[in-house]
Amino acid sequence: MSTRSIAARLGLMFGLAATVVLAVLAVSLFLFQSYELQRHNRDQLSARLMIVERLSLRATDGEHWAYFRDKLADFTPEDGSLYFLVESSDPRFRVGTGFLDRAQFDAQAEGFGEAILPNGQRYLTLAHTLPAAGERPAVRLIVAEGQRSIEAAEWLLAVGIVVLSLVAIAAVSGLGWWIARRGLAPVDRLSAYARRLDARDLTLRLPADHLPTELDGMVMSLNEALARLQRAYEQLNAFNADVAHELRTPLGNMIGETQVTLARARSADALESTLQSNLEELERLRAIVNSMLFLARADRGESARDLVEVSLREETTKAAEFMDMVMEDAGMALQVEGDARARVEGSLYARAITNLLDNALRHGDPGGTIEVFIAETGDTVSVTVRNRAAPIAREALDHLFDRFYRADPSRTGSDQNHGLGLAIVKAIAQLHGGTVFAMCEDGYVSVGLRFPRVAALGEAARVGRRASRRGRTPRISPQPSA
Amino acid sequence: MKLLIIEDEPKTAGYLTRGLGEEGYSVDHAANGVDGLHLALTGDYDAVVLDIMLPGMDGLQVMQSLRAQRDTPVIMLTARDQVDDRLRGLGAGADDYLVKPFSFLELLARVQAITRRGRAHESTQIQVGDLHIDLLARRATRRGRRLNLSAKEFALLAALARRRSQILSKTVITETVWDINFDTNTNVVEVAIKRLRAKLEYPGEAKLLHTVRGMGYVLELREDDAE
Repeated sequence: MSTRSIAARLGLMFGLAATVVLAVLAVSLFLFQSYELQRHNRDQLSARLMIVERLSLRATDGEHWAYFRDKLADFTPEDGSLYFLVESSDPRFRVGTGFLDRAQFDAQAEGFGEAILPNGQRYLTLAHTLPAAGERPAVRLIVAEGQRSIEAAEWLLAVGIVVLSLVAIAAVSGLGWWIARRGLAPVDRLSAYARRLDARDLTLRLPADHLPTELDGMVMSLNEALARLQRAYEQLNAFNADVAHELRTPLGNMIGETQVTLARARSADALESTLQSNLEELERLRAIVNSMLFLARADRGESARDLVEVSLREETTKAAEFMDMVMEDAGMALQVEGDARARVEGSLYARAITNLLDNALRHGDPGGTIEVFIAETGDTVSVTVRNRAAPIAREALDHLFDRFYRADPSRTGSDQNHGLGLAIVKAIAQLHGGTVFAMCEDGYVSVGLRFPRVAALGEAARVGRRASRRGRTPRISPQPSA
Repeated sequence: MKLLIIEDEPKTAGYLTRGLGEEGYSVDHAANGVDGLHLALTGDYDAVVLDIMLPGMDGLQVMQSLRAQRDTPVIMLTARDQVDDRLRGLGAGADDYLVKPFSFLELLARVQAITRRGRAHESTQIQVGDLHIDLLARRATRRGRRLNLSAKEFALLAALARRRSQILSKTVITETVWDINFDTNTNVVEVAIKRLRAKLEYPGEAKLLHTVRGMGYVLELREDDAE
């Protein structure tokens, strides 16, 4: 029986349980029955002895003794299952000499004893001494009852109990297996459904109705997992299409322009111009590929390394300095409010802030102020970049951090902006164990990220410590001396 | 300056050899780890450019064997962007690390940074045509006209002037001037260059700050522009 099947295993376990219980029961039953049989046997023997004893009372002379002997002979069955014996020092008053001489037993003992004939027959004996009376000397009355029938009864009982127990064990195992199979039928049904799940129809779910309560939670969790997988799969599909589109444009430009250029003899200037144009496209491709490699890091569930506890206000101001000139050009001012301390990888944080400010500049109303709010709330710290901008639809807000997402489906200006800026912000938040958010209200758009506060940064901090134990600060790029 | 390139991809090796050769380096090339290590140990190189994915003996092994005997600066190249790779590369003693696809100008800047180490310190005065830059006083003048530059504008001019006649990519500029070492989509560099140019080149003056399409910017006096 394979124990890999739950039903078989349950059946086997029921069988084992039944074996233990029935074994105890059978042994108890057998002992009890056997004790009862023995007791009954002794009672019978005592009763017989009493009769014989009473008969023997008058047999005090030869005539009466002969009568008594005949009586005993009448009582004694032919099959040797019962003997009435009289042991005496005077051979005339002996009865059943053949038995008395052949059997092995203590003929002098009082009360119950055992006798064995040379042929192996066992007898239970009961002896009682009669004092001498008249011409009769003291004699010992002995009743010997053959144990064959009782042994046979005991044997039958044992066999019966064992056979019945075996049948019961088999029945319990079989019924247990069947009950388990019945009980597990919903699981079979579920697995039949599960076999139908595959990538071709992602909307399929396991049926959650008419389920035993034990399976309810499991099926619900599985269905939720399926829903998450479906979302991930659909996102991946959409992402692949976006990547293809995003890469196809520069590749198409390069192939076309190169072919046109090579179709005729060109001047060095024209060739140079083509090469330069190609280089621009290639730089665009490189930027996309590098960004995607970066995003893949967050997807792999990596954490940021080299975490250092900093004042977010200082880090924000430093990163914002990079954008100074562009903001000045756009007539925008920057205002940083609040402060909080968090453990971040400086260059990643700067990259996130730069992208958020760039996003605000690109999509915000010209002129005015970009505000950065840094706040501690509960066990997170949040950095919010807020500026006046055209309202964003609820549906678009949800996709703001998706890769290659642009509210403008015509994808104009894709030579500058790959739609990966906010996706990178999200990845950076994830690398720090944080999240991102976007809101739109009263003519303001707020986009930002949340980090766990220092204490909650367990895993990321551990990775950071490990990296720094290497005794060397890993740096992606050196600072060329300025 | 002698460089060794250990790279198995023929096209990559080809353009690196050519490009670095034209920048004035004398370049040797090895197409696998074993030859590369042998060359690195026997030749006297100022720097090694080492690919991680190599047939036979990979870059990390080459790096470790090399470090056991020599201290030659090494820049590692990899197509992977995995932290482990980076940590192992740097842990094995690499001095720098570039992820493919990288721009040639970036590699060049890093090779220059590594080979420049230990060179006698630069002069504090730089002259480009009629432009004079005093790095100590943080002052720039052109034909006696004092350029009124902000701190970042001066840093940009100084970075270009220090490597005059070399093309500086946008990445190198953001690293040098703003200490920012990641790709940005912003047009900060364009804006900064535009401002610097406006203060540097008055109408009638020779052009000094040139844009090289698709590559970056260069500060130099070109003879045909001198008029």
